[in-house]
Amino acid sequence: MTKYVIKRLFSGLITIFLVFVINFILIHIAPGDPVSVMMGKDNNDPELRAALMAKYGLDQPLYVQFYRQLTTTIRGDLGDSYIYSRPVVDMIAEKIGPTLLLVFPSALIALIIGAAMGILSARHEGSVIDVIFSGLTYILNAMPSFWLGLMLIILFATRLNLLPSSGMIDVRAGYTGFRYILDVLRHLALPLGTLVLINIPYYYRIAKSSVLQVTNEEFITTFRATGMSERKIFNKYVFKNAILPVVTVFGITMAFLISGVTLIETVFAWPGTGRLTLTAINQRDYTVLMGMYLVVSVMVALTMIVVDIVYALLDPRIRY
Amino acid sequence: MSETVLSIDNLCVTYKNRQKKVYAVKNASFSIEKGDAVGIVGESGSGKSTLAMALLRLLPARTAEVTGKADFLGRDLLTVDDKALADLRWKELSVVFQKAMSSFSPVHRIGEQIEDIYRVHTPNAQKGEAKERAVELLKLVNLGDRVWRLYPHELSGGMLQRVAIAMSLLFNPRLLIMDEATTALDVVTQGQLLNEIKHMEETLDMTRIMITHDMSVVAASCNKVVVMYAGDIVEVGPVKKVLKTPAHPYTQGLLGSFPSLKGETHALRAIPGSIPDLSQQYNECIFAPRCPHATEACRKARPEPVQVGEGWSSRCVLCGGGKA
Amino acid sequence: MKLIKKILRTIKSDRLLLAGCIGICILLFIVVAAPLITEYDAKLFGPDALVAPGDPAHPLGTNHLGQDIWSMLIYGTRTSLMVAVVASFISALLGIIIGGIAGFFGGWADRIISELINVFLMIPTLFLVLLIVAMFGSSILNIMIVIGLTSWPSNAKLMRAQALSLRERTFVKSAQAMGENRRQILMKYIIPNGVFPVVANTTVGMANAILLEASLSFLGLGDPTVISWGQMVYDGKQYLTSAWWIAAFGGVAICLTLLIFYMTGDGLNHVLNPKHGKAGE
Repeated sequence: MTKYVIKRLFSGLITIFLVFVINFILIHIAPGDPVSVMMGKDNNDPELRAALMAKYGLDQPLYVQFYRQLTTTIRGDLGDSYIYSRPVVDMIAEKIGPTLLLVFPSALIALIIGAAMGILSARHEGSVIDVIFSGLTYILNAMPSFWLGLMLIILFATRLNLLPSSGMIDVRAGYTGFRYILDVLRHLALPLGTLVLINIPYYYRIAKSSVLQVTNEEFITTFRATGMSERKIFNKYVFKNAILPVVTVFGITMAFLISGVTLIETVFAWPGTGRLTLTAINQRDYTVLMGMYLVVSVMVALTMIVVDIVYALLDPRIRY
Repeated sequence: MSETVLSIDNLCVTYKNRQKKVYAVKNASFSIEKGDAVGIVGESGSGKSTLAMALLRLLPARTAEVTGKADFLGRDLLTVDDKALADLRWKELSVVFQKAMSSFSPVHRIGEQIEDIYRVHTPNAQKGEAKERAVELLKLVNLGDRVWRLYPHELSGGMLQRVAIAMSLLFNPRLLIMDEATTALDVVTQGQLLNEIKHMEETLDMTRIMITHDMSVVAASCNKVVVMYAGDIVEVGPVKKVLKTPAHPYTQGLLGSFPSLKGETHALRAIPGSIPDLSQQYNECIFAPRCPHATEACRKARPEPVQVGEGWSSRCVLCGGGKA
Repeated sequence: MKLIKKILRTIKSDRLLLAGCIGICILLFIVVAAPLITEYDAKLFGPDALVAPGDPAHPLGTNHLGQDIWSMLIYGTRTSLMVAVVASFISALLGIIIGGIAGFFGGWADRIISELINVFLMIPTLFLVLLIVAMFGSSILNIMIVIGLTSWPSNAKLMRAQALSLRERTFVKSAQAMGENRRQILMKYIIPNGVFPVVANTTVGMANAILLEASLSFLGLGDPTVISWGQMVYDGKQYLTSAWWIAAFGGVAICLTLLIFYMTGDGLNHVLNPKHGKAGE
């Protein structure tokens, strides 16, 4: 088990290192010299230029630059945003809360609903429910998330006037305590709902196919031959075996979700890292963008490691 | 006085889907007496496993149609209701499948699986009761109680097959079906297991069906043999006699030699030709196209079983005069 | 002729594939016949802005600049399909070469490339594409190339698996024995024989490319000089309460196109691995 975790950690580190390398290469091949890339457009403060040159050793040979940047990054210094003249790490840190509030609950809810639908479909293969679920998820799968979000706004905010369409709190109301939580939940409903809907098809597909596959395994036949009830066979033996691929898909989906949430935050003006990204794009604030890319990949790598460990706990065949 | 445990009468299994029907087992009839060890032999696709699955009522109702009768201790296995069936299963009739590796859930401990099965028929069992019984049975197949705590992947194929056999004996069933239960094992392990099974039979008073494609397994562990070819039972008889003087040309082929007309014996590796298309119904002897002795009569009608000796019959017109 | 008949029969045998192929034909027709089925140039800023759908002159309405929505949808097909084809071509080419080398040569090359493929499959492409397009400019050519350059890993993974199994086959072994060098074997035997799964995957790659381009446009990183569905949704966002149709129809077009590609891909996969529909023994 320890060996397995170490191996996973190691490949996570490789991932993050690779992202760092990509960032490094991009700075050097981007139009303009690295200093101007880091300083941002229309900025020509000679003092800042000199400071950046010194910090990253940009007048030194490439390998020295690489080493300097690597060490500053490892120390948690992702550079400064030129617009706000603030450390990128701080900016991301204060915005990441709302983003995580969207990402993790939506992943979990989508997992539960999608897997439940998939299991239902598999148990009644060919039935009306199966056909409806399959069709529905097939269409959902083809919808661009940001567009679905906009359509939900039109329906629930503009037409029905049921839910707020943007932001995380009602600034004017200034709620506190329980009312505040309720307000956040109301604002959360649409962006969360969009993300859940977009992610359901992945879980549906994998849950359905793995339940169907496990049901055909020989050990299920053996259990039937013992006279064990179908319900017990399913609840205990089919379920645990079929859930394993779903766990794997959870990790992969999280990777998409963590980056895809940027689009949804843009749609709903959600005050998370997505907004930060969008501003950075508009201002060509590359340090922030590269910082985000690195942070996102760290998050993905961490999720993958956690998912792999959970998998290993569920599947005894991996423990070595 | 022998007591009949299972009596199969005119059992047919037909697989059907939208496009076609496949006649997998046709008019199977034979009976098994208490204490018998019956080997059902045939190539893959001969219907021997289908026959077993039909007896166990494990064929998918949507695609497989089963007709005929299978009288098991006074009840028809093919028509008995679900509740009665659940009561019969494992307590009176149990099975060991070919691939032990896939006969256990890979993510549950072996002990847990045995315990669950034990509780199917004794829901109020005391804690530890199942384990006690299982350890006793595991000892019979030369395994220690260590196995109880392990996961399937921690055991070798041979060990798992032993566990599967021990598990099948949990309730001292009247009839045990072993579907290619030793096929996946190496020759040495297979030999050991067969000896263990025979030894167990002496102590446990068990009746057994052994499904295999390997005549030597039958020779080593059975007293009666049923030979299947392309869904037909071509020969039924006592193992010793059938092995010595097989009546049906297919059995002769399976045993590795055809006595030629001149009286010499040619060793043959395989019977020429291939298994016929089972989506057709044939109005001739199903083996005629591959049979070295086939005559006009063979192609005229499907032969009925012909009595060859005591408890010995063959579905071959050439056996009519008592000689092949 | 025989080949065409065989292809047609294969297409007919799978409902998803048939629907997908018909859909692709329709898309191609729209691309070619765009000027014939539209009344206005999509880039024309007409006098009537924000006309609601149902108008006799503009059945699907107009946007804030007076552009005809129907024309924009039709001409947007050209952009989307171009992105799909160019990006997935680059991605397939890279995937085939990289995966082919990894699978065929094995050893260290394989280990390094495999690890690289897995890592790339893990990190989200959207952010990388976004970063590069922001840095290098958002011309449609740039967008297509960047999408192509970042989406090869799944193709490489498929090709690697193919090459791994193909190199053990007799005809490759005999070519080796005949003294053909490794590069020749890779080009003449491994790649041509292993390319089909990549082709099936490419339909999904095309769908992803369309979605990525639309996402970029929606974040304001689209090429402002071309008509694109993503851009329509981006523009429509500002007018969501007053003119819902601007955003709505662009999304519908994306959705339908993705459906077509997904159906084709799933259909091809069914046909290529026919595990289904066989009667059990």
